[in-house]
Parts: sequence; structure tokens; C-alpha cells
Amino acid sequence: MLKIPKCLCTELIRCAESGAPYEVCGLIGGIISDGAKEVTDIYPLENIDRSREHFSIDVHAQLDAVRDMRKKGITPLGNFHSHPASPPIPSREDIRLAHDEGASYVIISLAKGKPVIKSFRVKDGEAAEEAVVTEEGQRKNGAYK
Amino acid sequence: MELTSEQKERYARHIVLDGIGEEGQKKLLSSSVLIIGTGGLGSPAALYLAAAGVGTVGIADADEVSVSNLQRQIIHTTCDAGRAKVESAKEKMQRINPDVTVKTYRVFVTEDNIYDIIKDYDFVLDCTDNFDAKFLINDACVKAGKPFTHAGISGFKGQLMTYVPNHGACYRCVFKNPPPKDAFPSAPGVVGAVPGVIGSLQAMEAIKYLTGAGEPLTGALLTYDALTQEFRKVHVPTDGDCAACGNK
Repeated sequence: MLKIPKCLCTELIRCAESGAPYEVCGLIGGIISDGAKEVTDIYPLENIDRSREHFSIDVHAQLDAVRDMRKKGITPLGNFHSHPASPPIPSREDIRLAHDEGASYVIISLAKGKPVIKSFRVKDGEAAEEAVVTEEGQRKNGAYK
Repeated sequence: MELTSEQKERYARHIVLDGIGEEGQKKLLSSSVLIIGTGGLGSPAALYLAAAGVGTVGIADADEVSVSNLQRQIIHTTCDAGRAKVESAKEKMQRINPDVTVKTYRVFVTEDNIYDIIKDYDFVLDCTDNFDAKFLINDACVKAGKPFTHAGISGFKGQLMTYVPNHGACYRCVFKNPPPKDAFPSAPGVVGAVPGVIGSLQAMEAIKYLTGAGEPLTGALLTYDALTQEFRKVHVPTDGDCAACGNK
């Protein structure tokens, strides 16, 4: 389960919308308690591919973000990226590049009128959706409220 | 994070350097490096990274110190014979610099454990002594988007290259596949100072990457011949069909 405060959901969507039609990306950090992850910080980082269909995060920017998390005493929880024109489903490339079984891979989709946020875990080349909970409770069908 | 007066004294020679300074030292203290292999290459690398104040240094090696190691693996002493290399190395690193957190992994890296080990580190040093491990480290670091420095030594010669995601060739781009098992002797001769030179250069690559100083050795292979005291820097292209980093 991945808890994302509503204000950070709003920030993720704003980030995705402002970067469209290109994919945006970044890292998420927070705390892990009783197996549940809670996002406390998001780190929008430049998509150095500047592409509509894939993303790459600059390693130096990523390192600075991880250092900031260490400074704050929070844990890297995973990453996020947007799908400006496709559903919130990991692409083959997303799965191929997802190497950390413990990480959450958040996708913000703008494909339909209403932005949708979903999160996935990837193990042995298979992506499985994990529940995303906002402060207002569990979302239904991945639709952001 | 502010440096204490003791840290300012300890790292004074970094702090006065244009390429590092106080900000660079803070970056080192908040960084983490994993050293895979604590033998000839890993020994000087571990000592220099600990002395430099890299905040967390991981060391991975399943081996024990043997007397025949001591001619080149300078982090271990005669008294350490029979001890786990990671424990012996950790003790020396902490004696040099108590600022440094040393994490030990008494394992050989494998396909099953490598991703879990490298994931918490900012930079990886391949200080191993066999081709299977080198290709494994390369492929895992490429897949995990983890920068690393490869090094190898044999006899009077050594080589070095750095991989940073999206910044040039990986080890497999250059060497494709491990050589046949009988192509090289299992315990080749080597003068200890050769891994001393190359392992120190690996530490330098890590420090440069972590502080942002200079240019990393990406897209190039540096070779060293101790008999002629010649270094050569050979530019190596990315292989679009590389089994590790191709099609990215």
C-alpha cells in the first residue's frame, strides 16, 4: 500500500500537466511503517530524454535528490513518471527498467479527461498494481478524487 | 549539514581545493559507495574512500585473508590471516576515519543478491578478480541505472573505465562476453603496486563523481603499463546492439 497525501497527488498531477505532451519524472521519498509506505516528499526531476513515450532521469539530479532524502531522514520509496497520452499501465520499457522489487513505480496518466494515479511493484518482469491511498481514503478504480 | 571543527581540520586539504571545497566535502559525507571485492584493487580504494570521508562505504567479499594475499592487498595485515576480508577491512577503515559508516556483505555477488546490495549505493566499484563477476556487476549496474567504475589488472598492466547511465559505453559494449575459462590463468602474477595504482584511480573516479569535480572516465578505457610507465586513454564507442545497455 502506498499512501500519498492529497496535496502531493495534486502536485504530481500539476507536474504531469505542466510537462505535457512530454513525460515528466522524478523520485518519491517518505517513511515505511508496518509495511505501508507513506510519501512525504516528491522530487520532480528533468526528463533528459524529453520524450512523449519514455523518460530518463539524470543521475546527478537523482543523486542530489537521494542526498536530500538522507538529510531529511526519509527513505527513497520509488519513482514516478507520467503517461501524457496513454493509460496508467507500465509499458514494456517501464517494466524492463524496474529492477527494484521493493520500489513503488507511480504513473500519472492524463490520457482521459480526469488524471489518474496508479502505483505498481515489479517482480520477475511482472508488474502488479499496489493500492494507492490518499488522506481521504482508498481511491476507487484509480481515479483521483 | 554543517561540518564540525574536527571535520574541518580532518578534511582541510579537500576544503581548500577548488574542485571540492566545503560543499564537496559535505557531498562526500552524505554519499555512499559500494566496493565489490576487498583484494588488490579494493584495498587502496577502501582506504582512500574512508580517508576522504565518504559517509557510507559498503564492502562485499566472501573470502578470507590468506598469506598469499598480503603482497598486494594492503588493507589486510599478517595478523588478519584467516579473518573475513570484510571484517579486516572494516576495522582498518574505521581506524582511519570514524566518520565513515562501513557496511559489510560477506558474500560473493550473484544474480540473486546483487540488485539488493547495490540499490542503496550512489556509486559502485568493481574491484573483483574474475570475468563472470565483472559482467554481472556491469549488467546489474546498467539495469539498475547505477554508475560504476570497472577495473582489472594482470601482471604489470591495468585498466579502468567508468560507466554513468546515458553517458557512454558500458563494459559489455567494449568486451562483449567473458573470455573462455582457460584463456587466463586463475592466479596470474601481479606486482602489488599495480592494483595500488588502479584501485586508487577507482577511488578517484568515485570522489569525482560524488563531488562533481572534473570529468568522469566515461566513454573511454584507460590502460596502464607499469613496465613503460605509460597510460593510454582509448575512446570506446557505445554499442547500439549491446546486450546490456543497447536499445535504451
